[in-house]
Amino acid sequence: MKNFNDSHLEVKKFFSGTFETHPYEVGWANEAIFFVMVEKIKDDPTFTAQVQLSQDGVHWASDGSNPVSLKGLGLHVIKVQPNFGNYLRLAVDIKGGEMFLNLHISCKG
Amino acid sequence: MSVDEILLRSRYTPLKNVLSYDIFDTGLNGWMTLMPNFTEYPDFDVPKTLVCKDQWPPVMLSSATFRYPGTHGAMSGTYSLKLSTRPVAAPYTEKPAEGCLGHAIKRMSFYRPGSRFLQIECWFSYTAEQDVVDGGERPQPGLHESSIRNFGMGFDIQVNGKRSHVGLRYLNAVDGKMVRKWQYELSSDDITDKDWAFGLEGDWCKKGVDPWWFGRRFPNGDHDGFKDLPDGHQQLIYNETDCKLNWQYMRLKVDTQLREYVDFQCQDKIWDMRGIKSDLTDAYGRIDNLINPLFWVETDTNRRVFLYIDSVVVSQE
Repeated sequence: MKNFNDSHLEVKKFFSGTFETHPYEVGWANEAIFFVMVEKIKDDPTFTAQVQLSQDGVHWASDGSNPVSLKGLGLHVIKVQPNFGNYLRLAVDIKGGEMFLNLHISCKG
Repeated sequence: MSVDEILLRSRYTPLKNVLSYDIFDTGLNGWMTLMPNFTEYPDFDVPKTLVCKDQWPPVMLSSATFRYPGTHGAMSGTYSLKLSTRPVAAPYTEKPAEGCLGHAIKRMSFYRPGSRFLQIECWFSYTAEQDVVDGGERPQPGLHESSIRNFGMGFDIQVNGKRSHVGLRYLNAVDGKMVRKWQYELSSDDITDKDWAFGLEGDWCKKGVDPWWFGRRFPNGDHDGFKDLPDGHQQLIYNETDCKLNWQYMRLKVDTQLREYVDFQCQDKIWDMRGIKSDLTDAYGRIDNLINPLFWVETDTNRRVFLYIDSVVVSQE
């Protein structure tokens, strides 16, 4: 039977501008999905995120995928492309307002 | 006898009834991050608090992979349970900064009538993030041992109408100064619930409950929620560089009838703790017979620090 785990990365907090999610190890997993639940907004924010990989959890590079942009309340899904190694994070830029987020990573493998 | 049974009996000294034997190379086994209660209006909001408890980072399965040596792995296979902090710390005497602690918890309960003794034992290691070389004139500025403030393990127990927190912490460093001693959870007799909340109004807390983030701290490393273990200084293995992990053993046994500590062991040293009472708090609703084993780690600087658990056994008799 496969392992599955969902972990919070951020809960119930307003964000604007740039931030990166906590370095998260997923070497055991074959697939990873970031769930971005936008619970509240102020003004008209746009969330843009780039999946990043790391060898050591300290130095980071883009995984080569296109940045993902999303708007609006509710649940948004960012599927990580295959071959992601071990350390994963999202580099986020929120422009035009603030978002109150519940941001999780779900992994299976 | 399976390999697992051989390892259980050779690496561990469990009591008669093994409640859980979790090897993290197989998965998280129900260990998860300790989070606040999402109970409030209008959208499962968190009760008002003085200490932000939703910034503790998630626990994860770690391969312990570092910049130069690559993957360290675990004592049992590749993966261990990793607790981590955010790279934020307040001075020791202040209330904990948002995200300066990492917690792991598993939630179980009493199940056999007459079980008196309860024990937790694990193989662990700890390190600080190898992020940047520190400035200044000190030797080995790339060795970050003093960034780790403390780590520990224990239980949150509620039985026979009383709740108690018991546990040991290794106070490694206070504001950058190495300390290296064990302290056990026990709140001071002469303090109030308000003292417990750093002397501040506006929190709901009870003296003796949740000493990892409550309880005043003093410049010499004293703490309203922890007391020095007699002869409790111990030099643990922090091996030459932040990317070398040595797996070490610790064990805590408590008496849930007398509400006392029994003994504590780390590496090959055993402390007799009989006669040391644990805190007793009035029972909380709906959680009688609760057994929650816990681990935690706290950073002393603006740097992530990590506690790794290879495996853990909880047992009773």
